[in-house]
Amino acid sequence: MSTTISQHDPVPTEVLDGAVAPYSRDKTYVFTALFLAVVTVVEVLAVELPDFPLWSGNMLVPVLLLLMAVKFFTVAWVFMHLKFDKPILTWAFYSGLLLALGVYVMMLTMFRLWYGDSASVRSS
Amino acid sequence: MAITEDRPVEPLALPSGETDADYKPAGVFTRPKASKGWRSWVTTVDHKKIGIMYGATALFFFIVGGVEALLLRAQLWAPRGTLLSADLYNQLYTMHGTTMIFLVVMPIGAAFANYLMPLQIGARDVAFPRINAFSYWTYLSAGLFLNSSWFLGGGADGGWFNYAPNNGVLFSPSHGIDYWNLGLLIAGVASLTGAVNLIVTVLNMRAPGMSLMRMPVFTWMTLVTQFLLLFAIPVLTAAQVLLMMDRLFDANFFNVSKGASPLLWQHLFWIFGHPEVYLMILPAFGLVSDILPTFSRKPIFGYPFIVFSGVAIGFMGWGVWAHHMFVSGIGPISVTAFALTTMFIAVPTGVKILNWTATMWGGKLQFTAPMLFAIGLVLMFTIGGLSGVTSAVAPGDTQQTDTYYIVAHFHYVLFGGAFFGFMAGFYYYWSKVFGYMLNETLGKANFWLMLLAFNLTFAPMHILGLQGMSRRIYTYDSGYGFELWNRVATIGAFILASSIALFIFNIFYSKAKAKKLPPVSPDPWDARTIEWMTPSPVPEYNFDPVPTISRVDDFWYRKYGETKDGALVRIAETDDVVQKRSDGKHIHLPSPSYWPVVVAVGLPIVAYGLLYTLWLSLIGGIIVVGGIFGWALEPPDDPEAGHDDDDHAPDDHSASGDEAVAVGASAEVADDESAAEKVGEPVG
Amino acid sequence: MSHPTVTEADAHATGAHIEHDTNTGISNTKLAMWLFLASECLLFGGLITTYLLYKTPLEGPSGKDLYDIPFTSASSFVLLMSSLTMVLAVSAIERGDHHRMRVWLGATGLLGATFIAGQIYEFTAFYREGLGFTTSRFSSAFYTLTGFHGVHVTVGIIMLVSLVFLSVRGKLPEHRSETVEVVGLYWHFVDVVWILIFGIVYLIP
Repeated sequence: MSTTISQHDPVPTEVLDGAVAPYSRDKTYVFTALFLAVVTVVEVLAVELPDFPLWSGNMLVPVLLLLMAVKFFTVAWVFMHLKFDKPILTWAFYSGLLLALGVYVMMLTMFRLWYGDSASVRSS
Repeated sequence: MAITEDRPVEPLALPSGETDADYKPAGVFTRPKASKGWRSWVTTVDHKKIGIMYGATALFFFIVGGVEALLLRAQLWAPRGTLLSADLYNQLYTMHGTTMIFLVVMPIGAAFANYLMPLQIGARDVAFPRINAFSYWTYLSAGLFLNSSWFLGGGADGGWFNYAPNNGVLFSPSHGIDYWNLGLLIAGVASLTGAVNLIVTVLNMRAPGMSLMRMPVFTWMTLVTQFLLLFAIPVLTAAQVLLMMDRLFDANFFNVSKGASPLLWQHLFWIFGHPEVYLMILPAFGLVSDILPTFSRKPIFGYPFIVFSGVAIGFMGWGVWAHHMFVSGIGPISVTAFALTTMFIAVPTGVKILNWTATMWGGKLQFTAPMLFAIGLVLMFTIGGLSGVTSAVAPGDTQQTDTYYIVAHFHYVLFGGAFFGFMAGFYYYWSKVFGYMLNETLGKANFWLMLLAFNLTFAPMHILGLQGMSRRIYTYDSGYGFELWNRVATIGAFILASSIALFIFNIFYSKAKAKKLPPVSPDPWDARTIEWMTPSPVPEYNFDPVPTISRVDDFWYRKYGETKDGALVRIAETDDVVQKRSDGKHIHLPSPSYWPVVVAVGLPIVAYGLLYTLWLSLIGGIIVVGGIFGWALEPPDDPEAGHDDDDHAPDDHSASGDEAVAVGASAEVADDESAAEKVGEPVG
Repeated sequence: MSHPTVTEADAHATGAHIEHDTNTGISNTKLAMWLFLASECLLFGGLITTYLLYKTPLEGPSGKDLYDIPFTSASSFVLLMSSLTMVLAVSAIERGDHHRMRVWLGATGLLGATFIAGQIYEFTAFYREGLGFTTSRFSSAFYTLTGFHGVHVTVGIIMLVSLVFLSVRGKLPEHRSETVEVVGLYWHFVDVVWILIFGIVYLIP
């Protein structure tokens, strides 16, 4: 470990704890960040230009949710090294995430949040 | 298969070449060294001492909560009772429920988990010993904070779930609910850090050969319990943060006049609350699953079924919360869906009952005190489970909601279930923990008295509830047919208290008697799991050497083999199989630390500050932050841990301060194997 | 799944063996951090759910009147880029490059502080436009959710500064590079939570 690995090389698993694949070169991280930046720009454009055919009408919310999910999973996958580490970490994290999604979506459904007639919530 | 491994005894050196583990990075941070006296208890990071402290503290709060219950029962002795005012009655039942759930049943589960789980998996200690100490001290300070409300304006008065909008300042102007709210937030920190710690311990620190499907059932149930805590506590925390904002900073989360929905609190509370009831019962299930096979002299019937039904309960426990809300107007579709899921969750629970019964079937039963309590759990929990199924039927529940029927139901599962299991655990493990056996005759008397008193107290409540007596009402009129059964229940409650007194008497009586007896054997019950291999009381280092595990009930099969036609034959004497006490000098153990106590003391000071003057919060905050920095800058106690784990970045709130205890070089041997087979296994 | 016999396990011991002394091969700290983050999902989930429920105020200004999308997009972008500098810091220490690590950690902290400054500015602006904490159900939910996230970022900044401080003092050698990685995990999590908040709170109408 005394030798320095340059930023153009992947970090080998020997110096990592619990990784199953070497960690990326720095270039990969930069490209990932660029990708995330592009997705963010698309997100903002979607809101600022609601008439664009791809997301006009009812598609705006699904498109935004999709882009949000893409960003979320990209950060977790590359920056948080889930791609390279043992799957048990992915299991641990996503079990919490899916559980949260499950119970809270169920709860909002019981509040009829998605139906637009949610008396207890929306009326004034 | 009694193969144990030799441990390399070479001296341990710091990776940097330093040999002095006492160096002081900031000049002042040495680690405490006391191993005797009160100081050793305050600074200990030993999971066994922490387990004992959890148990003792929980028993103290059990007495507090018990006295509250006796006051309630005394008030209901006759119609128009005048012992308590309506207001005091409200505070007492609220604090009784809160104390029993958060300060008694959960911590006793934590006590057993702390003491036994590392022993059952053959670990030196838990993954983060200092965080373990922190969890305990935080629990203690939360409990004291919560109960200090009695002296500072009265306890919470909204029931243990403190429904909105009753929990608002408008309807509960005293500080009681603030104490409840902030106290449980602090207790939540303790539970969450404990959960992370124990999960990591089970997943990462098992002895060679101890794969997940070889773990004792109690360890499995601990794992499930801690996962439930990990995911349930933050939901309560979210709800309580909202309530705190409402009560202390005038937010509008439950303010109906600004369009808020009180149902939000109910949903969040029960999303937490239902996993909560399972995480209270599962440790007791685990204990009983280890006790019944021992005294039936048979392996547990269907080990994988017992394990996976526990996991299934943990999983399904997340989809049933709204059955607490059948009468709150959630709509017919929701009611139907949750009634169905609730009935389904009876299936894995039934699987467990069946497995326990089948374990006893055809066994050579020995009716010792722990066995009696374990059978008591099976029977009493079945009654509680059945009354639970009647409540899952939504139309029936509409009648039962907020009556004594529900009170009867949850006492059958929590006292008849969880607490009988804990009593079984106390009688079973007492010699392992304290080095002397509890008196068996007194123990059996204890059981029969408790069983009788328990049923006298709570069985009549079924009838009272079906007759229409409401819970949480401080009195009742004569002429409704409530007098007789209330009187029976009150008599039962006082006998129940005397059975607890008998247990406490037994502790001291047996200790006095034990002085004249020879030292207790490591394995007095001819048990099955590896914690019984250690000397009693367990030495600080647990195992020397760490055993290698080759099957479920490994210890049993070191003692017994089977002939070709399946008959049991002894292949080794117990004395040859158990471990001898060694001086343990070559085993590195984590050093004690002051900092967990410091941080834990800071938290209630912050909370008092939020209630009275924010300056106090500032002081508390400084103590907490300073404590965390002191914690992080403390010299590494474990020379071996230098390569990746010693202390950790400051301020990394609940996951900070890592100090992996080296399981010892020998433990590394099979680790890669078990790691390899673990990959791809779902973790809960 | 066949279980290894004890002899096999013994035989394995002499082979090349890296510093994994845990059953899963993952260090305790890292596993603990991931578990903690999993649990944080339910905490933030609860707050986001509350926000969704209370999104439309009965009185006072609503999100539609207040949100300044270009400004928030810029500060979201700042936080997103701090994830890049964070991962570069982790990468640097894993390569043994202490100097570069300190630079990237400092940059991460600075970007985080910029984000917090933006949030303070935003809160002040909203307050001036009549959105107090107690104004409506929406205002309480909005400030609690975003404020809670802001507290998380602040805690992260304190950790980053402490890491730089430790590193300068020489207390952060390569064999403890994982500390940086674990703090990084926390930081990235705070970032992904903001990705959700940005989408759900600000963008979705």
